[in-house]
Amino acid sequence: MSTIAPKFRFSYFLKSLTDNAFWAVILLTLTGIPFVMTLLFYLELPVIDDKLMTPYLALTTIADPARQIPLIKSLLHTDFFRIAAFPGFGFAALLAAGTIFVERKMLAKLQLRVGPFYCGKIEGLLQLMSDGIKLLSKEIIIPAKADKPIFWAAPVLFVATAAAFVSLIPAARGGWVVADADVGLLAVFAIIGFFPVITVLSAWSANSKFPFIGGIRALHQMVSFEIPLILSVLGVVILTGTLNLTQIVESQYHYWWILFMPIGAIVFFIAMLAELERIPFDLPEAESEIVAGWLTEFSGMMYGLVQLGSYLKLYAFAALFTILFLGGWSGPNVWPPFPEEIIQKGIVMGPITAHFPGLPLLDQQMLNDVLWFTLKVAGVIFFILLPRGVFPRIRIDLLLHIGWYKLIGMAFVNIFIALALVYAGVLGPGGIL
Amino acid sequence: MVGEYAASYSHVLLMFGFAIMAVGPALLISRMISPRKLSNPVKFLPMEAGQVPKGEGRTHFMMQYYAYVLMFVVFDVMAIFLYAWGSSLLQLPKTATLPIIAFLGIMFAAMAFALYQSKRRNIW
Repeated sequence: MSTIAPKFRFSYFLKSLTDNAFWAVILLTLTGIPFVMTLLFYLELPVIDDKLMTPYLALTTIADPARQIPLIKSLLHTDFFRIAAFPGFGFAALLAAGTIFVERKMLAKLQLRVGPFYCGKIEGLLQLMSDGIKLLSKEIIIPAKADKPIFWAAPVLFVATAAAFVSLIPAARGGWVVADADVGLLAVFAIIGFFPVITVLSAWSANSKFPFIGGIRALHQMVSFEIPLILSVLGVVILTGTLNLTQIVESQYHYWWILFMPIGAIVFFIAMLAELERIPFDLPEAESEIVAGWLTEFSGMMYGLVQLGSYLKLYAFAALFTILFLGGWSGPNVWPPFPEEIIQKGIVMGPITAHFPGLPLLDQQMLNDVLWFTLKVAGVIFFILLPRGVFPRIRIDLLLHIGWYKLIGMAFVNIFIALALVYAGVLGPGGIL
Repeated sequence: MVGEYAASYSHVLLMFGFAIMAVGPALLISRMISPRKLSNPVKFLPMEAGQVPKGEGRTHFMMQYYAYVLMFVVFDVMAIFLYAWGSSLLQLPKTATLPIIAFLGIMFAAMAFALYQSKRRNIW
């Protein structure tokens, strides 16, 4: 039988609501409106159909969808859209949410449980949302002698570093990437190198024993597996001769690199599992030994942010595997072409006919690329999730032994396979491909 | 020229900043709507599975594993050096591969020695 908390008074509840509304209005008026005004002063507003698109004019287009389409189209090609929505943060967060749902349901099925069930009526679809709201309303408790600025900054920095990793991932041809860097692969390695630093800093700042042991374990594990991770990709770079991720995908138009370098792909996958701290390499978060490892002292939304960051990182690693070994977005053309009458005449719905000039916002090629890219990434994510239901955790000396002796050796074997393919004339200039 | 190279990375920084702007408010909102009670000093002790914590929080870790961290400093740089060679391999003459093979041989011998030393736990 559930009871209301004894100190609960409805009048207190109303008072807290109105208090919050009061402060929101005050803060928005004093800071929000000047901020927007300053932003509008410095922002270069777009010119669409020979008209300067002021916010007022943009709001008037709500009345007329036909005038809205050029506005949306111009929005789709801005940097802000790329960063916030499609190949950037929104897309990655959406896939991360899907990953969490699939992981929980699949793990439950593997262990003959039901898993999330009630929230959202259909198979617990909204469980993640309710968990988020729950975490948001929990009190954040910081240990007494913690180093507070670092402890507060660590979850935010973790998410931001994962997002910076996501920004280098191209999702479709034609420049659908946030940052198209010349040496994108090296930039990826540079960003991966930040994760152990953030982990150790957060573990050190908590001033507690369990997080510190977890953080040191994470440091050893990530540092050891970074070298096989870097060396296993060298074969791909030797065969393509470029470090740009978009060009690496374009080089796999005929054959995926996993066909020529399966050893490199396996080494990369295992090193990826260790970098992501997933079973069988989840020693930093070993819940049966050290409570929750370096996450022990994180409570409430801080824990939620670290989880968000780790799943963003999972998406980014799966996408990197897809780009390097599985041909990225290349695949047969399966997306159906847009019907001619929609492009020419508009949409006819019963008595209503609406003519929108330039209706398909995205071309068929791009949608096809995104479809294949998402399917491949989902497949790789499935194989990352699968060991969690199958394998036990391994000991730290065995982990370091695997990383330093076996994986590095196999990565060098992969490099020599790539060299042999180039010098035997199979691939590269003058080769059969 | 340098500016163009730097500009291609500015989007990484923009994305970094966007993520901070997007998730920072979550902590603020959480701080605003969640209950805060300062009554209980036990609540702010470090988590130690029910025990009262003793000693300092920043404990010690087994020294023997630091060998791997020291080795990382060397071999990570080696791995990145190999990228400079690997990305331009198709334009280099074939004879340019031999010095790199010799370099790999030297590094392999060094790594084997370091791994052998890291196994001798009594010296750490």
